[in-house]
Amino acid sequence: MVAIDIIFAPIFLSILVYFLTKGAEHITKYIALGWFLVLFFISLSWLHQLPAHGFLQLGTYLQVPAFNFDLTLQVDALSVAMLLLTSLLLILVVFTSWNEKNQASYFSLLILFSGPIFGVFMTTNVLWFFMFWELTLVPMLFLIGMWGAERRIYAAIKFFLYTHVFAMFMFVGFFLLYKQTGYWDITQIKEAALTTPALIWWLMFAGFAAKLPLFPFHTWLPDAHVQAPSSISVLLAGVLLKMGAYGLIRFTVELLPATTREFALWMVVFGLLTTFFAGMLAIYEKHIKKMVAYSSISHMGLVVVAIATMTYDGLSASLYEMIGHALIISPLFLIAGWLHHKTHTWYMNEMGGIMKYAPYASAIFILAGMAALGLPGTMGFVGELTIIISAVKSFGWWIAVIALGGFISAGYIIWSVRRAIHGEPSEIVLNSTFEMSAAEKFALAVFAFLIVYFGIVPQPIFDVANKAFSSFFGGM
Amino acid sequence: MNNAVMILLIAPFVGAAVAYILGKFKQPLAFWTAEIVGAILFIASIVLFVKHSGTVISFDIPWIHYGNFTLPFGIYIDHLSIIMLLIATGLGFADIHFAHDYMGEDPDQPRYYAKVLFFIGGMILLVITKDLIGAFVGWEFMGLASYALIGFWYHKKSAADAGMQAFLYTRFGDIFILAAIALLYAFAHTVNLVELNHLADAGKINKTVALVAALFIFMGAIGKSGQFPLYPWLMNAMEGPTTVSALIHGATMVNSGIYIVARMFDFFHYTDALFIVANVAALSAFIGSTSALVQKEIKKILAYSTMSHLSIAFVGLGVGSLAAGMLHLVNHAIFKALLFLSAGAVIYIAHHTKDAWKLGGLIKTAPLVALFMAMGSLSLAGVPPFSGFFSKEMVLSAAWEWGNGFTAIFVTIAALLSIAYITRLWVLIFLGEPRNEDIAGSVHKPSNLWIRLPLGILAFVTLFIAIWQSNIVHYIVGKEVVEPEIEGLTAFMLTGMLILFLIVVGLYLKGLNLLYKIASHNFVQTIHQILFNGYYVETMISWISKHIFVNAIAASARWFDTYIIDFIVNGTVPFTQGVHNVFKSGHSGRIGSYMGQMVLGVAIIVIAILIIVKGL
Repeated sequence: MVAIDIIFAPIFLSILVYFLTKGAEHITKYIALGWFLVLFFISLSWLHQLPAHGFLQLGTYLQVPAFNFDLTLQVDALSVAMLLLTSLLLILVVFTSWNEKNQASYFSLLILFSGPIFGVFMTTNVLWFFMFWELTLVPMLFLIGMWGAERRIYAAIKFFLYTHVFAMFMFVGFFLLYKQTGYWDITQIKEAALTTPALIWWLMFAGFAAKLPLFPFHTWLPDAHVQAPSSISVLLAGVLLKMGAYGLIRFTVELLPATTREFALWMVVFGLLTTFFAGMLAIYEKHIKKMVAYSSISHMGLVVVAIATMTYDGLSASLYEMIGHALIISPLFLIAGWLHHKTHTWYMNEMGGIMKYAPYASAIFILAGMAALGLPGTMGFVGELTIIISAVKSFGWWIAVIALGGFISAGYIIWSVRRAIHGEPSEIVLNSTFEMSAAEKFALAVFAFLIVYFGIVPQPIFDVANKAFSSFFGGM
Repeated sequence: MNNAVMILLIAPFVGAAVAYILGKFKQPLAFWTAEIVGAILFIASIVLFVKHSGTVISFDIPWIHYGNFTLPFGIYIDHLSIIMLLIATGLGFADIHFAHDYMGEDPDQPRYYAKVLFFIGGMILLVITKDLIGAFVGWEFMGLASYALIGFWYHKKSAADAGMQAFLYTRFGDIFILAAIALLYAFAHTVNLVELNHLADAGKINKTVALVAALFIFMGAIGKSGQFPLYPWLMNAMEGPTTVSALIHGATMVNSGIYIVARMFDFFHYTDALFIVANVAALSAFIGSTSALVQKEIKKILAYSTMSHLSIAFVGLGVGSLAAGMLHLVNHAIFKALLFLSAGAVIYIAHHTKDAWKLGGLIKTAPLVALFMAMGSLSLAGVPPFSGFFSKEMVLSAAWEWGNGFTAIFVTIAALLSIAYITRLWVLIFLGEPRNEDIAGSVHKPSNLWIRLPLGILAFVTLFIAIWQSNIVHYIVGKEVVEPEIEGLTAFMLTGMLILFLIVVGLYLKGLNLLYKIASHNFVQTIHQILFNGYYVETMISWISKHIFVNAIAASARWFDTYIIDFIVNGTVPFTQGVHNVFKSGHSGRIGSYMGQMVLGVAIIVIAILIIVKGL
């Protein structure tokens, strides 16, 4: 299979799946599972084929000599890390949506989603990057809009327009890149050739900031997460947000290092504001899924601070935290959504005492919550520790204030546990039944295992992370 | 790697998992697993004590390489660690043994024993680690375990609240340690506790950085060891099972703050942070001992006394005497575990009555428990020849020698008052007539093997450890410590204690009417309220977190989010509609109007292109 098939095959596969499984809808999930497994193993094989430095060439396609927007596919350790994360989450999402309704359309949309999201991380051509970036929105729009909760249409459209509008800024930035250098491909663009690097930087930054999301561009995210089915929340938080962070590393730090250095403090300011602002919102929130959503935003702020250090260790830490964030926030979203499904309430003060009735889900919620607040033995701790060390090293003592983020997150996590999981059961809890399918249990167990395993043995992830940035820092 | 070290490092966590899983099949298996693992841990510590008392075990495992950094994970076991290991595993083992009866009727035993083993594992990790990072890991493990154990009966509102409070208070201190790790890593290039001490000894570390780092670490110690102002969690932690209180207050968690300061003693000494340590601790000692005087619940009296005695140990460190501080820590850990387990025995035989005022005359039912508790009490009060006398004496003379009047006076008052509150407690429980007929009627006898045996052993140790006081000091510090002689201190202390003892016994045994008369006075009432509520520090912290943190800052963040940001975002909809309304008159359907617009449009585009081409 050639690389380009991975991106475009899902289009045909999803159409086939949708039309051929009429009457036998339940097999669609097996097809989806199979395809995502294939993606996972292909990514894994690329990881092993990666050269010591730089990119693994996967070929150049769709060449039109008159224009130079060839679809150049090449991956380095950073992209492969994102691909592995994406395919892993897709696999687990199949399990968590095991009993979703309208399976044929649901899983064909998921398969459709896998194409452009792989494209985003595989191409180095900014034009194609932009196209894939926008194309990921389409299946997401339908997945939120059709399978979501009560206000799904508002949320889906807000999500779509928000990121779309900011993607336009990014697109203008890309266009200026092309106009000033004559290349679409980032491996050929030289920063020195740019005449207005600051303008381009801010345009691109706006696009990535809305995706991450950074304060004050974050308001699409709580709405989208709350209304999306929880499996889609996993993809939103685990993959779509990471597109923003990936873009920030790839197109600002690596492409325009001098300009980024100039604006690094702005990134830190945005990152810190995001961490604290979203943390405070999470403390105030009674809505369980919104609380998790703000927690997710808050952690992305840390990722941005780590990226802004622009050091070898800081970027490694940011990649680790990106992966950690995806694995930690996903079970929280899944359980929050599951609790709503079972109790029909979103509000934590209306729950209580769930531990007794759903010990498995409660235990995993507490574990993932502990990881989110940075408890040692979990990925959250390693991410937070490495980020704070790198940040203090780069920016000086004052940045140690981000440690306070660890206290704010303890505040909202522990208080949520106190309200929803501990305490006396409420009327609503007593009148609900809490059963969980084996597939969901399996997916949660995988998340819990990975959080703890990579929290104790983080080196495998850091090996990839170090490789991702060693070439940028001249193989230091 | 040393086998005993390996066992100490891994067995608690594996044991916790095994206890939980086996316990799920058959309840008693959880206890037996924990008992066996506890015994193994204790034996491993003894092996270290016997075999490695002369040598230091030290090795490093690189944990994380990221970028150009390597975060280490090292093991460092010297005499200080071995003493702490013996305390943690020995008292932990006694505690597990005691829980057989105390927790015997609880349906959630697998969960209980798994958490207890995890807790002990955290403490072990803390005391054998070489780096601040490893210490932080153990530190946080204990935070998690205490959260889970204090809130063990999570369906009770008060227990769930207490667990939450314990976690958040200690976590607030902990983030300062995280910040200290980052600062030390960035500016001193090491978080190795041993190296930091060496750097401090050689004066090779920036003094400001070191001072800030030391204060940050002490902030963590304040949280974990219940010093002012982060102590209220320690009292509310009494919501957990009494065996848990014994574990937290005797064997593990609260000692960790003192341990970390002792471990980094040279570093603290170098930065002058010890001055702050001594004064904060003296204030805490005073608060703890005075508040303990008026509490009603058995366990709260003990909790305030824990706070006060930890502070006395901190004062010992703060005034520059590592030996005095550590000796008091060791003595306190043992007699406090004894006192808590005795209190647990009392509570157990009195069917979970925690209010000391409802008990009385229990000496007839449980004479042995009364005897053991009396021995613990005498040691706590500092009566010779019990162990508490020697270490308290040492701290006090070091404090007076140091020359800061505030520290010395406050810590002396605190040390004196300990006899008052502990006598009051003992008299209320064991002497006099039963005050509550229901409880007195249903009291049952404690069992020999599961309750009296561990108490007896602890009482025995409390008595006999007094003989080896100078050996312990020598073992920890590595040299003879010459105790400063303060003229008349011992005589003063003993006289003061005797007077207080007589007053308390007289008032609570014979003079209750007089006591009530005094207590009904308005002024006394006010003082009583202040002391009973622990100087209202908890109220203050709750007020700040509720009204400032949540209702002011978080609420305004929420307001900003809803009414400013989302207003702008949602405002784009009416805005575009408005634009649409302005221009829709153009869609009139008349060819002429369209032609005009087209010309206008083309003109704008041409002008724009011209501007771009010429201008840019």
